[in-house]
Amino acid sequence: MNSHDAAIVVYSLFALAGIALELLSRSGHGDIPSLGTVLSRVMHSRSGRIGVMAGWMWIGLHYFAR
Amino acid sequence: MARGAGRHDEMRETRRLNSAVHDPVILVLLLAGIFDGLSGNPVHAVLLIGVALVLGVRIDEPSTHAQEAHLWSRSVKTTWVAIGIAVVYAVAAGSFERYTWPATAVVVLPGLLGVTVAWHEADVGRPAPKPIGRQGAIAWASVFVTLGVWELINLLLQPSLAEGSYDHPTLSTLLEPLLAGHTGRSIALLLWLALGWYLVRR
Repeated sequence: MNSHDAAIVVYSLFALAGIALELLSRSGHGDIPSLGTVLSRVMHSRSGRIGVMAGWMWIGLHYFAR
Repeated sequence: MARGAGRHDEMRETRRLNSAVHDPVILVLLLAGIFDGLSGNPVHAVLLIGVALVLGVRIDEPSTHAQEAHLWSRSVKTTWVAIGIAVVYAVAAGSFERYTWPATAVVVLPGLLGVTVAWHEADVGRPAPKPIGRQGAIAWASVFVTLGVWELINLLLQPSLAEGSYDHPTLSTLLEPLLAGHTGRSIALLLWLALGWYLVRR
């Protein structure tokens, strides 16, 4: 396995960890909230809301804009 | 009387400045804008720093349009109209090559619209979400923080900040082939718009 493949594996593990946490939150076991709940909590304040939306805007800028 | 009003304004101004200085979101936006600017992305820098400054200046301003804006975004009819517009927009916008002025415009417009709508929907007219436990907060933060660190490691292992590496790919490098063509760009733009819509409705 070369370093490119290893990097892909690590990115996949992050995706799997996110999916696992989301599934865990829906199972009702433990104290894990869904990602949507986390976002709602963060976005409940004005600055949190604007910060998350600015982050979203930045993703678009990063991949498409000059 | 006038002296009392003046002192009240002064205290309010001090309180607002204090809130702005201690707000981590403003700090993060300012730092991100500064480093994006230093990396040769002046448009990104202007937008991020601009949002930070507006947030700092108007941090204590009460939201007046919250209720109506919230209702607007929850309408089923509006959702279907928005989906139609987003698909047409993504197909048209995806025809522009990346990093050109037309591509910049088609991202900046919905980006600023999203931030503006989020501004008007802030903190009024929605129930407080339930608190997040320590275990849950640590679990999600671990995933995103370690992903960020991993991304940073790969970025620093590139030949230069502007040149991607096959051996140490960042997410941007991995997405390059997808975003090279019209179809891929349109799909990516549609997903980005969908994410923005989802966030605005939180």
